[in-house]
Amino acid sequence: MDTNSIQPHPMKLIKQTYKYTSLWIIPIIVIGSLFSYFIIEFIAYEEVDEFLTYEMERLVKYHKEYNDLPDFHKLEKVIEDVKYDSPVFKDTLILEPGDNEMVPYRQLWFSINHNGRDFTLVLQHLLLGRDDIARGAFLIISGLALLVVFFTFLSVTRVTGKIWNPFYDTLHKITRFKISEPVPRFSSSDIDEFNALNSTLNVLLKKTTEDYRHNKEFNENASHELQTHLAVIKANAEALLSSPKGNAEELESVRKIYSAATQLSQVQKSLLLLSKINNREFSNNVNLNFEEPLRNVLGLFEETIDIREIELTHSTEPCNVFMDAGLAEVLANNLVKNAVKHNIQKGFISIKLTADMLEIENSGTPHAGNPELLLLRFSKGENGNSGIGLAIVKEICDLYNFKIQYEIKNAIHKITIFFG
Amino acid sequence: MKLLIIEDNLKLLEAITQTLQTEKYLCETATDFSAAHEKIFLYQYDILIVDINLPDGSGLDLIREAKKQNPSTGIIVISARNSLSNKIEGLELGADDYITKPFDMAELVARIKALLRRRNFSGTDIISFNNISINTASRQVFANGRHIELTKSEYDILLFFFSNPNRVLTRESIAEHIWGDNMDLADSFDFIYSHIKNLRKKLAAAVKNVPIKAVYGIGYKLDTTPPHETD
Repeated sequence: MDTNSIQPHPMKLIKQTYKYTSLWIIPIIVIGSLFSYFIIEFIAYEEVDEFLTYEMERLVKYHKEYNDLPDFHKLEKVIEDVKYDSPVFKDTLILEPGDNEMVPYRQLWFSINHNGRDFTLVLQHLLLGRDDIARGAFLIISGLALLVVFFTFLSVTRVTGKIWNPFYDTLHKITRFKISEPVPRFSSSDIDEFNALNSTLNVLLKKTTEDYRHNKEFNENASHELQTHLAVIKANAEALLSSPKGNAEELESVRKIYSAATQLSQVQKSLLLLSKINNREFSNNVNLNFEEPLRNVLGLFEETIDIREIELTHSTEPCNVFMDAGLAEVLANNLVKNAVKHNIQKGFISIKLTADMLEIENSGTPHAGNPELLLLRFSKGENGNSGIGLAIVKEICDLYNFKIQYEIKNAIHKITIFFG
Repeated sequence: MKLLIIEDNLKLLEAITQTLQTEKYLCETATDFSAAHEKIFLYQYDILIVDINLPDGSGLDLIREAKKQNPSTGIIVISARNSLSNKIEGLELGADDYITKPFDMAELVARIKALLRRRNFSGTDIISFNNISINTASRQVFANGRHIELTKSEYDILLFFFSNPNRVLTRESIAEHIWGDNMDLADSFDFIYSHIKNLRKKLAAAVKNVPIKAVYGIGYKLDTTPPHETD
């Protein structure tokens, strides 16, 4: 049974990959933007400084030659009687009247001697605004990162489908795997990890199916041996019981041997049935109407119910269940048997079967304690019965995911089974 | 009536053979596949009792072989594997009946007799003891010529007794005979008791001495020794 079979869903793995990969873009953008910012700023200074230096050299050279400044110069201001020993760069902010904003400028202060007087000349040039650099750096890096991510994801999507294919193939096969069937053949791939996974799974599944087969064989062989020898015990005990020679005491001993052998055989049959249900050996599931096994069982117990003068009421509706026909018989049989067995003289049994549930209510004896415990294997009833009958009911319900409820109120026992 | 019993457990084979010999059947035995195969090939049998699990082969193959050799042979399968598939396969191959170990000898005898009646080897459908007769074809019971109305279980129990005269039938074997595996035997003794009480009551209305006797603590027995006329 693989009711919860997982549909292979290639996007799940990839989505997860994308999600975590995407988070890594954030540090890339932050660090990348900072880095670009400083580089751009450094280059901008370099360029402006170089330009100012050229301009200074042109002015100094011109002054040396003509003892005058050229007509065309970019001097911002000339300060008299101040001398700088060597040229000095300065950063400054100047209000730009146009957009009423402080704008960064680079200035070069240097001195020349003109006719014995010192003059300090100031050259200046517009710098790139820091916010402009920051914005630019951020945009460039973000754009780049997004582009890289986009193409990476695109290629990853393409490649992943191909690379993970053997993995999904394996997943598909093992979810469909049934213990009673041969171990599936996994397709080999050129990826070591998948091959390792497949061969490990193969070993595991082989071991499991082998254990399963051994267990099954052991059960059958043990059962065969046990029942054969029990048949010998019973046959001989029966012969003694029929012989007219025995005295009462001896007959009593033989009777005990005979009845113990009979009970042992029955318990063993029930246990074998339990383990077969547990091993999922009944897998011949068909769509059947539960009314049918129920009707058969009621026919079987009709006379027994009459003898006890039990009042039987039942109402049934067609109830379609998907299960093994043999197990449906066993289920109906054990439930009705339980209701008859644990009933009282002149009691009642009320059976209600609807499209999705079966409810069996019967008179009985009061029971202290949790009634659900009666569904467990080997829980002892008041007569010392090992409650295998109900344990089998529970096992069948578990196998088909039917929900089972056991309630006792004022000596009225009620078992409800919800199909589906 | 010639029977071949194929069973690999010698002790069980012996028990079966002894029981069936007291029923005056001519019994031959085989303890493995090859011996059984040879006998089926050489001789004719009315009934084959086949254990499915043999050390050197499957009883199912023997059924196939026997049906080929002599299609009128009656076949009863005995198996310890209480598995439905074996049962279905056995019956599909042409076995007439299927009985799981451990079975009561009374049950085996009843099955053999029922099979013989179905095959009409005995020539008659009427079994009678002490003025009580059962018509197995119409499932009717007459006592001193009067028709007795019985329930299904009562009829089954009476026929079971008639198939095993003078043999003690344990309560367990009677319970298994009517309900098979469907009832826990220990719980069914009350019901057996009631059934037999009702059966005796109905018969007693027509015959003076009901031959079904209780065997204290064990079960019941059909006593066919003629009743002493004490008047």
